[in-house]
Amino acid sequence: MTNSQNFDPVSLEIMWSRMLNVAEEMWTTILRTAVSTIIASANDFGCEVLDAEGRSLAHAYRSMPVFNMTMPNVAKEILKKYPVESMRPGDVYMTNDPWMCAGHLPDIAIVSPVFHQGRFVGFAGNIANTSDIGGSLDAKSVTDSYEEGIFFPLCKLYDGGEPNELAFDMFRWNVRGPDMVLTDIEAQVAANHVGARRISDFLDEYRLEDLTTLSEAIRGRSESAMRKAISDLPDGEYTNHVFTDGMGDPLKIQVRIEIRGDEILVDFDGSAPQIDRGGLNCTMIYSQGHTYYPLACLLTPDVPVNEGCFEPITVTAPKGTIINCDFPVSVGSRVNTGWYIHGCIFGALSKAVPDRIQAGNGLMSSIHTYGAEADGRIFNAHLFCGGGRGATSQGDGMGLNMFPSSASNVPVEVFEVNSPSLIVSKELMEDSAGAGRHRGSPGQRLVVGKLPSYPAPLNIYLHPNRLSFAPQGIFGGRAGTKTNVIVNGESVSEDPSSMTRGSVTLSAPEDRLTLEFSSGAGAGDPRERPQDMLERDALNGLVSERAAQFVYGR
Amino acid sequence: MTLLSHSLSIDIGGTFTDFTLHDSETGDLSVHKVLTDPDDPTSALIRGAREILTNAGTAPAALRLVVHSTTLATNAIIERSGAKAALLTTKGFRDVLEMGREQIYDMHDLHARFPEPLVPRHLRAEAPERTDRDGNVIERIDLSVCARVVDELVAQGVESVAVSLLHSYANPQNEIALKDHIESRHPDLPLSLSSEVAPVINEYERTSTVVADCFIKPSVSRYIRGVERELSEEGYSGRLLVMHSAGGVMDAAAARARPVRMLESGPAAGALAAGFYSELIGEPDLISLDMGGTTAKTCVIEGGRPSRANSIEVARVHRFKVGSGLPILMPVLDLIEIGSGGGSMAWLDSLGRLRVGPQSAGASPGPACYGLGGERPTVTDANLVLGYLSPDYFLGGRMSLDGEAAERALGALGAEMGMDAVDAAWGVYSVVTENMAAAARIHIIGRNKDPRSYAIVAFGGAGPAHACEVARILGASRVVVPLGAGVTSALGCLAAPLSFESVRSMPSLLDRTDWDSVESAFAEMEAWGRDMLASAGVPVYGIRVERSADMRLAGQIHEIDVPIPDGRLSQASASQIEADFHRIYQELYSRRNLSLPIETRSWRLLVSAPKPDLALRERESSSGADASLALKSSRRAYFPNAGGFVECPVYDRYQLAPGSEIRGPAIVEEEEATTVIRPGDGAKVDGWLNLVIALGHGG
Repeated sequence: MTNSQNFDPVSLEIMWSRMLNVAEEMWTTILRTAVSTIIASANDFGCEVLDAEGRSLAHAYRSMPVFNMTMPNVAKEILKKYPVESMRPGDVYMTNDPWMCAGHLPDIAIVSPVFHQGRFVGFAGNIANTSDIGGSLDAKSVTDSYEEGIFFPLCKLYDGGEPNELAFDMFRWNVRGPDMVLTDIEAQVAANHVGARRISDFLDEYRLEDLTTLSEAIRGRSESAMRKAISDLPDGEYTNHVFTDGMGDPLKIQVRIEIRGDEILVDFDGSAPQIDRGGLNCTMIYSQGHTYYPLACLLTPDVPVNEGCFEPITVTAPKGTIINCDFPVSVGSRVNTGWYIHGCIFGALSKAVPDRIQAGNGLMSSIHTYGAEADGRIFNAHLFCGGGRGATSQGDGMGLNMFPSSASNVPVEVFEVNSPSLIVSKELMEDSAGAGRHRGSPGQRLVVGKLPSYPAPLNIYLHPNRLSFAPQGIFGGRAGTKTNVIVNGESVSEDPSSMTRGSVTLSAPEDRLTLEFSSGAGAGDPRERPQDMLERDALNGLVSERAAQFVYGR
Repeated sequence: MTLLSHSLSIDIGGTFTDFTLHDSETGDLSVHKVLTDPDDPTSALIRGAREILTNAGTAPAALRLVVHSTTLATNAIIERSGAKAALLTTKGFRDVLEMGREQIYDMHDLHARFPEPLVPRHLRAEAPERTDRDGNVIERIDLSVCARVVDELVAQGVESVAVSLLHSYANPQNEIALKDHIESRHPDLPLSLSSEVAPVINEYERTSTVVADCFIKPSVSRYIRGVERELSEEGYSGRLLVMHSAGGVMDAAAARARPVRMLESGPAAGALAAGFYSELIGEPDLISLDMGGTTAKTCVIEGGRPSRANSIEVARVHRFKVGSGLPILMPVLDLIEIGSGGGSMAWLDSLGRLRVGPQSAGASPGPACYGLGGERPTVTDANLVLGYLSPDYFLGGRMSLDGEAAERALGALGAEMGMDAVDAAWGVYSVVTENMAAAARIHIIGRNKDPRSYAIVAFGGAGPAHACEVARILGASRVVVPLGAGVTSALGCLAAPLSFESVRSMPSLLDRTDWDSVESAFAEMEAWGRDMLASAGVPVYGIRVERSADMRLAGQIHEIDVPIPDGRLSQASASQIEADFHRIYQELYSRRNLSLPIETRSWRLLVSAPKPDLALRERESSSGADASLALKSSRRAYFPNAGGFVECPVYDRYQLAPGSEIRGPAIVEEEEATTVIRPGDGAKVDGWLNLVIALGHGG
């Protein structure tokens, strides 16, 4: 059974599950051995198994979706730069090239070749968002990529098991908190070791020489499933545009989706030109990932993602735009652009698949503190805060979440232990949820102070989303809310251009930074919301008396 | 006064309530099974207890001990049928319970749902107070505000209250003040404090745990009292012990005080039974394979002890999706769900993969072969088509199976795959066994152990029919099937020692540990545990105390369990503890990291009574034992390594004497389970009537 091109349903299920399990085990290894809040608590990483051509076969199911989509590109670039004949066990490749990997410098890809019976058979790889990559702490102030930190072109971190001391020294002298960063990288390397060993054991067990036939089967089935799903859509051209916050002036994302038979073309012509500061530009590989991902959600939600899924999809964008930017423009805050692509695509396809799309999503925002504790220890902690999820025609928005990222929040207690801050409150906001027959998820309000006993001022670096444009409702559902940034009672985000500086300093113990994060939008006419659901929201203080009356028509 | 010699265990599962009765004088063990009555579990319990006692010719008054495990607590959470509970949090944080970790558990399902919180928002109230990360109270709790809030909740009909304040693991002062104040005003209101139930960092998980405790407290309390009363009316005058999730037993009072500890106590009993057999047969390292109607679970036994974990997720929205359930922080036996059960349905997915489960046909309509209207093929149907199960001896013949219906259902599935019914059945069997083996392997390898060095002890209704194939895939060399494999979990209850574990969160770098504080924390935990044992009637003599710590490299999220040496702790102990940490870390991750300091999160202490004396009667093996005396029939059964269907002898398990040997292919039937022995494998009946199967090397 193992040599046939066509795996029978039994072998296919068994072996595919094994590949998924290998990726899962890699993921667990990083989770358990990493140390930064951003990786160990917030889970900003992903793990993947790839074949000898660098094509993805399986990823861990909580992997960051965009990492799953961009990792194969790194593997293919490795194959171009390092001939297979030169590879040997103990090699580990690394890069954080935003144009090759995941769109900004903190995302470091660590990829290891896998050998079986002395022969190269594929890769075990992962990408993780390091806690620091050097460069400016204020992501909004940068004018080019050079200010955003150190750039590692594709290189060997280990050569036949020997560490590349130059690479390690570059970390030691260029990033903040290098012990934390290097321990996380060790966790990434360890995950690949585990993955490589499991893949080889698997091949032994099934007496396979390599992953070729299995890869063909997995990708082939997935490609067919995607083609079938596309064929079921009405042919045609679907367009949409959305605006992002930009640097004071909104930036436009324009999309045109062409569905022909069993193929899809997604083109971003008409999107804003790249911008000279603030890190809001997306590299093409990153934009492509954020285009594939929402299409996979809409079309093949049951297929474990691999490269086969995307064979029928072509993504294009003119060079020099915020969707396909040139080196060396700044890219550090590219999520402030790239995360709006999903809503743009869902909106465009609202006519083709109305029952599947999601209303506008409140997006995740984050804050970050860096400095020295009273005893001199360096702190460097991230706090991720989810936005409210948009409703669908099938139900209310799923609560607070990080879509389109698979990250988790950071517990308040863990954030406080890791930085001299005091979270004063973290709560849902009344009447924030975008109304609808199905409502969006309410947004959250976070109030931050510094720990009263901390003697120095506390700098907080902000990465807010949705400052200017609320997520939009669908089919008569109402919009969600925008994000507000309030310092000591005064809103500083009303004027978007005031948010071009990305940090706030809390000097006095009573200083307060209040962040009201965006909520999810609604789906369907709020007046059609079933009475019991409305009454439950009212009882729970999520919908006020007034809104129940005037918005929902009680 | 006569010496009481019988112990009775009762395990209430979703479908059946299982009983085992052990006579410590003779070592005899009898078993019994009745249908669970979900509406009135106590009456089925009492009826079954009467029956097994009558059959054994003994009376409730002659019982020394009754030990109980039940899914009642778990079901109350799954079905959201617990109390109208309220939650008090630090001001500004009442929504933590609903926000959870804000992590999507299925990245591609735009319509996924998070689990409903056990306490709705309008019953979550706030207390003005604050403790900082170092345990300093920076805002004293305003008890007058709290009193008003609690009075309002009580006026709304709240039946129990959970309290979870920020950083209470570091300093419980404000929680305790609140408790004292509430108790003075509402002395009968059940109350649970997060600093008592789960004094561990991470506000969501800690709150989720204390809320679960308080949610099930009133109903579990009523239930336990009811069982105690009914048992006493039957004439039983001893104590009722209740199994807890960490594989020990607690007395009824402790169960009522902290019912969250009863979650998953049934599966824990199964793992404990596996530990018991591990010692009995002298096989210290083994894995349990507990496969029932809807799921299969495994637990790794090392050195005779089931492995442990510090958290569990219950009531998942999607069974196999981590993050779709409610996290509970407490010591548990590390059981993982590895696959489907006998009732799980097989289907072909859109990618052309043969899948089994997670949907289950349940008891109604049940598998196609039940003839109750089920049409979709299940694992049980596949086993029937393959000849592994008898159509006439299911549940000892109490139910007959419809082979044609099974064949039709599998034929239809096969047609979709271009196979006949038999190949489809073998496909289903393979997918189930391969996936169980793969999941078990990951679990074992995740502990950096080699699965080939483990024996498997198989039980549950469906376990013995799949164990040998799972063992083959894992490369394990031995499978042990205890007599009464269908009710083995219940036996686990009788093997459990009385034990109490406590934990104290005191985060600190190892080299900055305040050893005096650690010593006094351990002293308090030990005194509490000894008190609990004393009040449960355990004599001081023979009590065992074990200490451990949750440690990690500074900054890591995941902790590892490091044993703490006996004797007084001081700075001098640090080097030994550090060496142990690095040794265990390397065993787990195959790597060392000496660059970061070691951090202790929590200190744990377990006090346990001596293990109960559960000697089974060992019978003399006789060299003349003859398996053929137990031969009851033969039928055709499917074994690909023998070329397909072969005529296969069927043995009556109850007639197999110690020392009997059987060569595969063979089928051994007992009332609640059927053991399948593959061609090339050989089985021997040992002195305790276990079937010990040695795997041959044939494919």
